[in-house]
Amino acid sequence: MINKKNSLIIFIVLIVGILFTSSVMAQETVELEMWHAWTGQDAFASEVLLPKIEEFQKQNPNIKLKIQVIPNDSYRTKLRTQAAGGQIPDIMQTYPGSEVQPLVEAGLLMDLEGIIDYWTDDLIPRDSLSAYTFNDKVYAIPAKVNYTHFAFYNKDMLKEVGYTVWPETYKEFKVMADKLKAKNIVPISLGNKAKWVLQSIYISTIGDRLTGIDYLEDVLAGERKFTDPAFIKALDVIKELADEGYFNKDANSLNDMEMRQAFYQKRAAIFFGGAWDIGGVIETAKEENMNVGIATFPQIEGEVAPKALSGVTGSAFSIRSGLSEAQKEAAIKFLKFFYSEETYVDLLRTGSFVPAKVDLPADISPQFQEVINLVNEHQIGPVYDAVLPINLIQTINNGLQSLTTGEMTSEELAQQMQDNL
Amino acid sequence: MEHIYKHKKKIIYLGILPAFLLYLGFVIIPIFISARYSLVEWNGFSPPSFVGLENYAEMFGNNIFWRSLKNNMVVVLASVLGQVPIGFLLALLVNQKIKGRHFFRTIIFMPVVISAVIISLVWSMVYNYNFGLLNNILSFVGLESWVQNWLSNPDIAMFSVAAVIIWQFVGLYFIIFLAALQTVPDEILEAAKIDGAQGWKRTLYITIPLVKDSILAAIVLCISGSLKTFALIYVMTNGGPSHATEVMAIHMYDNTFNGMKFGYGSAVSIFIVVFGIVLVTIVRKLFAKFEN
Repeated sequence: MINKKNSLIIFIVLIVGILFTSSVMAQETVELEMWHAWTGQDAFASEVLLPKIEEFQKQNPNIKLKIQVIPNDSYRTKLRTQAAGGQIPDIMQTYPGSEVQPLVEAGLLMDLEGIIDYWTDDLIPRDSLSAYTFNDKVYAIPAKVNYTHFAFYNKDMLKEVGYTVWPETYKEFKVMADKLKAKNIVPISLGNKAKWVLQSIYISTIGDRLTGIDYLEDVLAGERKFTDPAFIKALDVIKELADEGYFNKDANSLNDMEMRQAFYQKRAAIFFGGAWDIGGVIETAKEENMNVGIATFPQIEGEVAPKALSGVTGSAFSIRSGLSEAQKEAAIKFLKFFYSEETYVDLLRTGSFVPAKVDLPADISPQFQEVINLVNEHQIGPVYDAVLPINLIQTINNGLQSLTTGEMTSEELAQQMQDNL
Repeated sequence: MEHIYKHKKKIIYLGILPAFLLYLGFVIIPIFISARYSLVEWNGFSPPSFVGLENYAEMFGNNIFWRSLKNNMVVVLASVLGQVPIGFLLALLVNQKIKGRHFFRTIIFMPVVISAVIISLVWSMVYNYNFGLLNNILSFVGLESWVQNWLSNPDIAMFSVAAVIIWQFVGLYFIIFLAALQTVPDEILEAAKIDGAQGWKRTLYITIPLVKDSILAAIVLCISGSLKTFALIYVMTNGGPSHATEVMAIHMYDNTFNGMKFGYGSAVSIFIVVFGIVLVTIVRKLFAKFEN
């Protein structure tokens, strides 16, 4: 019979049982909070990185990843704000250079020196980690090299005005753009509402070519100035593109997605985008029966580094400092699994560039092979928002928009940047 | 009556307490914390350093701040002179015994409950230069010359945005006024009718004075709401092109979370609070003056 005493004993046994099993389980299962910005629209994420994370979870049932996905534009702000409050996840995607630097300086991230030999130098050259290296310590491992500048052009539209090849020089480019305008075709599709497009995609490469690839470092070291004529000339190119009406008129109220759409809908002949666009462009071109060519900005007179192409490593994960031993072990296990040779080869297949020394797979698509050849003709140069401190990024992002609306001259913007340095 | 009330005073305070504590913790105290942050230079990571009133000096010396204040005043004026009168007129109309007034009531109120992000996206499409509804209608009726770059032209972008703000919140004031109009006793209106006050005259001399308190409340709400306006503009234009639609809240957000200048951002926030209190006080004084 179950009387009061008996039921109490049963109750106690149950409670002890529950406590015991949960404590045993807690010992076995490690929970890690993870943040990243891969919403899965791009091939590299949906076909490689996201399946990799899934596979890891399947193989390691005792490591539980609590994942938050935050779209790129808000991700940086969110991470910065959370970091300012000292609350960051255990594993998180971090952005290169000046973006991750404050987190490192605040001691929020774990340095990977103890385990970095796993990758260097056989798989990843130490140089490729420079955007995440501070005081000779590495704080993140990147999956990709993001070149931030390519020109995508509609071959048929260019043919309409008599161009079968991409113009060699900027002068010729302007002649072509005028001809397109005369035919009522918008030469360049631009969507600069979020303000980073003119900076990351345009001025980074144009600036690198006119000023040389060491310029930004020299400016930050105080050896050169933003008021340098070469930099003003680079700003003038952007201003000229806007003043001549080569962009669509509503460029400042569209986002970068709408910019690509206008190109796909044949409302513009050209758009400038980054390596992240390559997969999508090649695929859409196939679906829509479009004839798309890929190039880089034509040669401008007076270039110091004519073959510079702005690019930076990305899709990197960092680990929070102050994890428990078990968590640390699990996080390192994840990194080793995630940044494997296999991952890099798979990434190459989706049309991404990688910082690792791996052989090109034989089954790579011919279009991507062409892009690889194009990139191999160039030398990598810095991307402005990966090098400049955050207040200068803000100044140049806003300033470039003001250049296009005619509210600022190149000289004024250059002076403002020098003042804010 | 008074006696009963006295006994219940404690209970009343007890009832208010939870809400008051929340309000204190999440509104009042943060304002003071912000005030303290506004006196330091701080990027969120390194230890803050005390700079006195330097952030305020920087703010008042910043052209973009003044521009954001000017833009914000456009929003305040558009709201007070747009939302309140339109809301009042619509309330007068729907307060009549007309057919389908329930339907109109819902329709007019609807924008208020739709998320600001959705409204912004829809209006961005309406304003789109190439295939937007507005430009299409204009060219369809032969007004090609009126076709505008509604959100990209710095000269008119602020007004395009303000129009959407009016559109979204008319419903809120409409509901406030409708509720107020329904408290106006029929006897008074009937008496006025007998005395010969009809139509506009009756509205002007009988109805408006009777709902005066609601109008004041609406204007106060309107001013404070306009000063913190953020989401619509953030999504539609992100403050651009070249600061043409940057209001104070966006200026604050951009500097705080994109520029990592927490001290400066706090200074702007404090200015918004003080400026709001000043504006509201002026409006109240004006109303009191009219009463005398």
